Amino acid sequence: MLSRINSKFIVISISVLLLLYFVIFPMGVLLYDSILLDGEINFANYRSVYSQDVNWRALTNTINLSLMVMVASVIITFPLAWLVGRTDLPGKKIYRTLLVSSYMIPPYVGAIAWVQLLNPSVGYLNEIFKFFFGLEQAPFDIYTFGGLAWVLTLFYSPFAFITISRAMEKMDPTLEEAARVSGASPMRTLLDVTLPLMAPSILAGGLLVFIAAGSCFGIPAIVGMPGNIEVMTTRIVTYIYMGDDGGIRDATALAASLMFLANFLLFFMTWMIGRKDYTTISGKSTRPNIVELRKWKWPAFCAVGAYSMISIIIPLGSIVLTSLIKSLSRPITLDNLGFDSWIPVISSAQYMECIWNSVIYAVVAATLGTLISLFVAYLAVKTTVKGRSIPDLLTVIGGSTPSIVIALALVIAFSGNFGLNLYSTAWILIVSYLVKYMTMSVRTIAASLSQVHSSLEEAALNSGADWLRCCKDIIMPLVAPSIIAGWFLIFMPSFYELTMSLLLYGSETKTIGVLLYELQTYADTQNASVLSVIILAIVLLGNVILNKLSKGNVGI
Amino acid sequence: MKKSKLVLGAAALLALSVAVAGCGGDDKKAEQGTKGEVMVYTSIYPDIIDNMCKPSLAKAFPNMKVNWFQGGTEKVITKITGEIKAEKIGADLLMVADPSYYLKLDEKGLLLPYVSKESDKVIADKDDKGAWHAVRISNMIIAYNSDKLKAEDAPKSWKDLLDPKWKGKIAMPNPLLSGTAYVFAGALSDKYGWEYFDQLKANDIRVEEGNSAIQNKLLTGEYAAAVILEENILKLANTKKEPLKVVYPEDGVVNVPSPIAIFKSTKNVEGSKALVDWWLSKEGQEAVVKGWMHSVRGDIAAPTGAPETKTIVENRIKVDWNRLANNNAEIKEEFRKRVME
Repeated sequence: MLSRINSKFIVISISVLLLLYFVIFPMGVLLYDSILLDGEINFANYRSVYSQDVNWRALTNTINLSLMVMVASVIITFPLAWLVGRTDLPGKKIYRTLLVSSYMIPPYVGAIAWVQLLNPSVGYLNEIFKFFFGLEQAPFDIYTFGGLAWVLTLFYSPFAFITISRAMEKMDPTLEEAARVSGASPMRTLLDVTLPLMAPSILAGGLLVFIAAGSCFGIPAIVGMPGNIEVMTTRIVTYIYMGDDGGIRDATALAASLMFLANFLLFFMTWMIGRKDYTTISGKSTRPNIVELRKWKWPAFCAVGAYSMISIIIPLGSIVLTSLIKSLSRPITLDNLGFDSWIPVISSAQYMECIWNSVIYAVVAATLGTLISLFVAYLAVKTTVKGRSIPDLLTVIGGSTPSIVIALALVIAFSGNFGLNLYSTAWILIVSYLVKYMTMSVRTIAASLSQVHSSLEEAALNSGADWLRCCKDIIMPLVAPSIIAGWFLIFMPSFYELTMSLLLYGSETKTIGVLLYELQTYADTQNASVLSVIILAIVLLGNVILNKLSKGNVGI
Repeated sequence: MKKSKLVLGAAALLALSVAVAGCGGDDKKAEQGTKGEVMVYTSIYPDIIDNMCKPSLAKAFPNMKVNWFQGGTEKVITKITGEIKAEKIGADLLMVADPSYYLKLDEKGLLLPYVSKESDKVIADKDDKGAWHAVRISNMIIAYNSDKLKAEDAPKSWKDLLDPKWKGKIAMPNPLLSGTAYVFAGALSDKYGWEYFDQLKANDIRVEEGNSAIQNKLLTGEYAAAVILEENILKLANTKKEPLKVVYPEDGVVNVPSPIAIFKSTKNVEGSKALVDWWLSKEGQEAVVKGWMHSVRGDIAAPTGAPETKTIVENRIKVDWNRLANNNAEIKEEFRKRVME
């Protein structure tokens, strides 16, 4: 009995200590810096930052935008997740891969693709619409609030999709069966039984989207800036690039506001979920029944197809096409296509080195992160320890902090002034990825853990297994899909991470995101799209391997 | 069975990552002469470093290892700012494109004065006591796509951009995010007053994140003309034969002489000085010109397709670098209020 409690206690407390040291300590140092003026505690920074209209506007823009993107993402992905996960929709395997693959595209690359498609003067799609409908003016303008929300939704809705569809596939079908047997229509069952049961996952997925949209810099910079739309992240980056202490302090004050905003939302949602009992996975039945769509089968097929087309295939096609165009100034004809831009990329040793670096760092970050996430999620969902949700909260604070602030905090805290010196090593990159992306994986695993009834665990413990064994044999297999999803949720953004890597990389640790950004900023944009295509290929390949290894059970 | 394999795999990966991290750390040796290591933080283009600097430097200093940290000016400045705050300056040399930043560093006493032996060959700006020397010259100019616009229709001066025929078709990089664009905003607000930017705003100028976004949109025809760096346009026009043309505005180019400087905290003083000399030498300056920028020496020709450096410098807009150094936040905020709202 004693050893059982001990192994659980030790594992969890190590995770908590790691989080405290790597998340809270650096941010504490930074926050302290933000209110410390000439050795005294002083809130002048906050006053000066919020005395400017533009920062208020950035704050309200961020809130409106993130809420809009969150709601749109849930509205779009819930039916998609249901169709793909619970019905006899034709081609659902391919759709599943397609629907999450926008998560694999680096957001700033995707934003550039959409600007190419929908800019008001020469956007490809706008030109097509003008041609077919004989319009005088371009029907769409990407440089607007709506355009920004559109691109953000397309790129961050996979967070909601992954969370919701995972939970949906693990749901206990007996309740639905009961409803169906009692004469409810499939639609009625969906609305009255499935939807309420899914509420925690929907909220969890929505929160992921909210946080991601609110702390994204790449898309607002590329889509919002030409339209003069300021959000918190663009303001923060602007302050940081002032290049002096005052700028960094102002940036920290804004970043702290963003952190509090996300956390307020989090508390609100925990409170909402906390009032209900959502245990829905029992030990008996694990295979959800499949709803027959009948006459809706093909209309649904076309609807999902159209969405995949718009959200994935068109922007992806635009990126691939750009990598093949010889000259951007000429129209796209056969003699203007070729592999010219590919040659310098493939033949360069520097590129391979960066790709290899990124793969290693992302794999290490994802593996460590998933392990810690599992313990954190377990602690929050499955125990009754006082303060059990604090570690969870710590990861959320990390995730909701803008990348650039995390990077600055790590530089200040871990360059040797407080003992540990990670500066310019690979570890500081890995730590930054963990701090930023672990919350995704904690959310996913927690959502799925919350549906595992503790009777299974108790049974194992009563039969004499210790807690680690129970973890390995009972809990992990039951939530395996969410663990794999969690792993990928850390791996993919880490693999092409840009903002933090830019500040943290050393001369020996350049990553693919940094290289891509360099190409993007330094004249060779076409090589950048070549590199984007290579990144996509690597991530897709990883997904296929994962799928094969798990015999089709797993894979995003 | 399967589980244990997974665990093994994870353990192997962890071991590997430890090994990688171990290799990543660099320990600087405080050796004298052109030995040891030197770390350069720079915004100079990566292809110049890889194709020209690395091979030449390996020949010139066989016993010295030169490490490069390369990124955009603002990124490098942000990194340095963090390092100064943490009192761990990782760079021995700094080469970025915001001259005013060097004035600030010098004021804080962070730069090592060194009058290079090539100093008298430098005709561009330099500090009297040698805290910094200009090492390359970039120019903010107007560019247009000659397939979409005839030369006689293109804007000839900064004032021409105010012509209503460009309404909604012009762009400039964001001075809040790009060092050279910041110099442009400072220079033009000095010359024509902030009203100039009010008028640009009235003409619906688009503010883009950086020069490369603008360059692409000039190619695709999204913008008719734009404020951009000369070197971006020269490179595309010459190497890729793209139909982009440079207009050197009649009312003066905005000339950005990007400096090189040594940090006082350097552990390799001799190596750093030798590297400054190399950059200012003929060989180093050839590399600059191959990167489509102008040399700071009088005896090196301008990049292909560009007028002589001397004529550009004679006709440049006078920039008040002290104002740019000391009123950074005010200038950026003024621009933002007037153009980006």
